[in-house]
Amino acid sequence: MARLGRLVKTTTFRLAVLYTAVFAGSVGALFVFVFINTSVFAEQQTEAAIEAEVKGFQDTFRREGVGGLVSAINRRIDPNTRTDGIYLLINPNQQRLAGNLTAWPDDVEADDLWINFSIVDLQAAEPGLADVRGLQFLIPGGYRLMVGRDIREARAFRAQLLRSLNIGLGITIALGVVGGLLFSRSIMGRVEDITQTCRRIMRGDLSQRIDSTGQSDELSRLSDSVNEMLDQIEHLMSGLREVSDNVAHDLRTPLNRLRVRLEIAANNATDEKEKEEIEEAIADADGLLATFASLLRIARAEASLRRSFGPLQLGSIIEDVVDLYQPLAEEKGVEFGSNIDFSVTGWGDSNLVAQALANLTDNAVKYTPEGGNVSISLKAENGSAVLEITDSGPGIPASHRDKVFERLYRLDDSRSTPGSGLGLSLVRAVARSHGLSVTLSDNAPGLAVSVVFPPPPGPAGGAVTKSP
Amino acid sequence: MRVLVVEDDLETASFVTKGLREAGYVVDHAEDGRQALERAMSDTYDIMVIDRMLPGPNGVKVVETIREEGIDSPVLFLSALGDVEDRVEGLKAGGDDYLIKPFAFAELLARLEALTRRGRGQGELTQLSVGDLEMDILARKVTREGKRVYLHPREFKLLEYLMRHAGQVVTRTMLLENVWEYHFDPQTNVIDVHISRLRQKIDKPFETAILQTIRGAGYKLEPAV
Repeated sequence: MARLGRLVKTTTFRLAVLYTAVFAGSVGALFVFVFINTSVFAEQQTEAAIEAEVKGFQDTFRREGVGGLVSAINRRIDPNTRTDGIYLLINPNQQRLAGNLTAWPDDVEADDLWINFSIVDLQAAEPGLADVRGLQFLIPGGYRLMVGRDIREARAFRAQLLRSLNIGLGITIALGVVGGLLFSRSIMGRVEDITQTCRRIMRGDLSQRIDSTGQSDELSRLSDSVNEMLDQIEHLMSGLREVSDNVAHDLRTPLNRLRVRLEIAANNATDEKEKEEIEEAIADADGLLATFASLLRIARAEASLRRSFGPLQLGSIIEDVVDLYQPLAEEKGVEFGSNIDFSVTGWGDSNLVAQALANLTDNAVKYTPEGGNVSISLKAENGSAVLEITDSGPGIPASHRDKVFERLYRLDDSRSTPGSGLGLSLVRAVARSHGLSVTLSDNAPGLAVSVVFPPPPGPAGGAVTKSP
Repeated sequence: MRVLVVEDDLETASFVTKGLREAGYVVDHAEDGRQALERAMSDTYDIMVIDRMLPGPNGVKVVETIREEGIDSPVLFLSALGDVEDRVEGLKAGGDDYLIKPFAFAELLARLEALTRRGRGQGELTQLSVGDLEMDILARKVTREGKRVYLHPREFKLLEYLMRHAGQVVTRTMLLENVWEYHFDPQTNVIDVHISRLRQKIDKPFETAILQTIRGAGYKLEPAV
């Protein structure tokens, strides 16, 4: 039923319905035309026959007078010559002179000389009312002649025709609706294929392609175009990766060489002071390399291909991070706790999310003074996972809250604290590639960082797992 | 110990080669993928250090090929590519460890040491002992000088890793990767704090310290002589 509902909502179905309506309308118009023509033709045939007969009687009257007319009528209604004609000749006193009607019909609707009336037919196999169409003819001297035809058969034919045409129209509409449903279902199936493939690609599997039906219709051409576009995107992405890989290789190798050279120099140094200085140089190089590594990691996190994405047990990631930082917090005299709803899951790369969470936790623990507290909570809100890290440190003034996500940005009074200023940039990069929204707010005192995960990909998006 | 170093940057190669020779290894060097394959096929090495980005067949291809040939010496990848994906690709191809450039030479030495030990099949033991420190992995029980030492689960795992690599230098990155199973660097040196807490329990109450800090490298668990 839901499937039918979905079907009815599709554009193709609406088009099919419109098409059926237009088609049924044309067929209906055609049928009306056929009906009118056929029934009018039958009526005209009858009237032409009556007029011809009246013309004949007029001639007889002119030649032979009323007497001739009477005998002509009597000839016509002779029971031996089967006739479907109805005749009546009356004198000015309304008395019947000849004919097979007992009296002039009184219940007549007359227009001009043409009249319609009903009679009781006693001769028919099944006696009953007969409809008659007649033409009256005034004869000089007050005589009146009426020639009619039983039009029951014509009426019946007309009714039969109308019934047939209605049935025909009904069948046309039924076929149109069924055809529309089948048609839109097959189109919808193919469009659904394209949608599914696109969803899989958005989840990071760029190698997916839409199946080609090999036909040359519009949908196949659309699929081919999408596939070509994907080839191009994949090509560009790998090009981008290659560039950053090469930069990494080209810059890191000489840096590494520098470090190894210093290390060897330190080992060979005999003078203690010289050795100390070289070791300081090594520490500087390490700082440089760490910053460089962070920048590369941020670039990678932003361009992360989602290939490594999967369902995340956020609760256990938080536990790991708490476990990692707990001793550090204890050593600093900072109370560190968590409040985790383990049924909440997310979607992403566990290493990147863990790194982002570790960076946020690192900051919270680092900036919270002795006796303060840091807390991580995880809960579900409107179907989204919401992770919150609060501390009781100095917080971040509202005017600086956006800037702290910029690369290498550091608050003036935090310059004495160790750190590269890249921690939050990495958080932002992870947030971008994962579609997370990160907001900083005042925890009065301290900072509250709230990370909202997008709802995981729906049932069509594959695996959605819930932890027990 | 015979080591094959495959590295196209000649200067890095010469430092690595020199350092390893000083550390007592017998070192051969190959400059590209083709040469690496020739060497690996014709000689037997205890361990191979292979750069991922090489002229000719790249490092991953080289390792795949030698694994197909049935050569199972441990392989350590060196790479400037630090992505989890790259790492997984390297390990899938048959690599045993993955070290990201730039690296401290001490880190390389520590990992090579760990890899060559691993080859000797120590990983399956359930009873470990280092001097008078003993660990029963199944019973989750640690004693030193016969006295019970109570550890948190994570401290237990940390000590287990150190004991399995007793006598070797273990770096902070190795600990994070193997004990916490994450591939990222904590900004602050949180590992040091974990080590110092472990020390409180296994060293402080006793006369001698067996968990040493190796300056500029990491830690080493070694019975006092």
